[in-house]
Amino acid sequence: MSIINISSDVYEEGRKIAQKTAEAMGYAYVGREILRGVAEKYHLSETKLVDAIDKAAPTLRMSLKLRKQLMAYIQEAVLGEMLKDNIVCQGLAAHLYVLGVSHVLKVRILIDPEERARNYAQTHNMSVKKAEKLLAREKKLRQQWSFSEFRFDETDPSKYDLMVSLSQIDPDEAVRIITETVCSRKFQPMNYSEKCLKDLELAARVRVLLMDKYPSSRVQANGGNLIIETLGLTREKRKREAAIKELAENIPGVNYVEVHFIHDFFRQAAESFR
Amino acid sequence: MAIITLSRGSYSKGKEIAEKVAACMNYDCLSREVILEASDRFNIPEIKLEKAIHDAPSILERFTHGKSDYITYYQSALTRRVRKDNVVYHGLAGHIFLGGISHLLKVRIISDLSMRVRNKMETENISEQDARAIILKDDHERRNWTQKLYGVDPWDSSLYDLVIFIDKITVEDAVNIICRVAGFKQFKATRESQQKMDDLALACEIKALLLNEHFDVSVTSDYGNVVISAKATGRQLQKLNERATQLISEVSGINNLEVHSEATQRQTVI
Repeated sequence: MSIINISSDVYEEGRKIAQKTAEAMGYAYVGREILRGVAEKYHLSETKLVDAIDKAAPTLRMSLKLRKQLMAYIQEAVLGEMLKDNIVCQGLAAHLYVLGVSHVLKVRILIDPEERARNYAQTHNMSVKKAEKLLAREKKLRQQWSFSEFRFDETDPSKYDLMVSLSQIDPDEAVRIITETVCSRKFQPMNYSEKCLKDLELAARVRVLLMDKYPSSRVQANGGNLIIETLGLTREKRKREAAIKELAENIPGVNYVEVHFIHDFFRQAAESFR
Repeated sequence: MAIITLSRGSYSKGKEIAEKVAACMNYDCLSREVILEASDRFNIPEIKLEKAIHDAPSILERFTHGKSDYITYYQSALTRRVRKDNVVYHGLAGHIFLGGISHLLKVRIISDLSMRVRNKMETENISEQDARAIILKDDHERRNWTQKLYGVDPWDSSLYDLVIFIDKITVEDAVNIICRVAGFKQFKATRESQQKMDDLALACEIKALLLNEHFDVSVTSDYGNVVISAKATGRQLQKLNERATQLISEVSGINNLEVHSEATQRQTVI
């Protein structure tokens, strides 16, 4: 009765291990297949959603704002699946936003950097040295992105319960380590940890709703009570508060909404020069 | 069987885990013993050795190799102790000193800073502020030490086979995981990996012995065939050759020994 969240430097390796873990535990596997549903719901292309998870650097096709929006849709869907319990989640960047839920076992699968560079060079037909450079750059960009977006570095080992390197350990052995670890009493759901997960899911739903009009909003939920922080000018305060409350209060599960207004100094300064 | 190295921060329960793993697997548990052995064997004051392997080298020490000499003695003592296998080592930089050995299981134990501070406060009866400052300084020194001497960050997870965060995973769970992984066939010593370990121990021992007599050399060994590379020339090279000849009878396990002069590229076969 737990949730296993597996992340990896290489998606395919993580996927293999996650599927085997799900099979061994009799849990449901939640992978990138759920992105099809998200794409249909929000009329997006599935590739864009995958890019939002995988691609580190902002591109012309994928601005930071768009990426933030796509990640919000993915979060909503993943947290919705997690409420069902007994799942193995992988490849959906859940390690970045499912935090503070004690019955989630967070595992990171590490791939030998040299082997990874060799495989990358072979697949993309380039020298190993160039592949190493590219992978190092990508890693740095992902670190920067996770830090700016989720306020922590995704390579920080303290954000995971367990990290297993596949350089010496076989994938099947990694699966056995994970399945044995998750059986520990500490990964069994409690009322409090289930409440934490429900709060995260509710906050994600509200955030998606506010995303179009108020993309800078941050949402915290606590048992149906919401605290929404939003950026804006003082003169807009009352109007914006009312609009946010109206939107949020219609969502099932919301009891009370409190809007905290953060003064947007930069916009204020920009407008004062007009 | 296996050699297990446990890299840990102070007060992160790594020591407790190492001792329990050693007890569970009936292995020797090493940490401070290596300092004592190195100090005894190479006649160096224990306090100097301890300081050298704890504090990061200063700018001056990076030029004078003051610290790297002590580290050579330490590495020699360590490789000598672990070559017989069935060892849990939870001292400094085991994963670096013993790098390249395939039956080495490299584990890193981490835990929450607040828990470490609490442990330190309880053990040493000091204030929270002091405990936090000491632990952070200690972490900084260790990180600096590895980065300056070996160019790697000890917090980089890719250096280890397992990284375990002690919080929801308890000490007992961690011990079970490590014991289980250590039992995997790839962590059992093979003839090749044992030979590699013996070669490493032999090269470290020869380097430490020569360093003790002020020879600045680098040593490699392959199936007992030892190559000593030195920048020495002339009289100094001759002295090195003479000393190297004596080493053949002093140190066991040498099949063949060569001294290479890096300065002249001349090769002397002994």
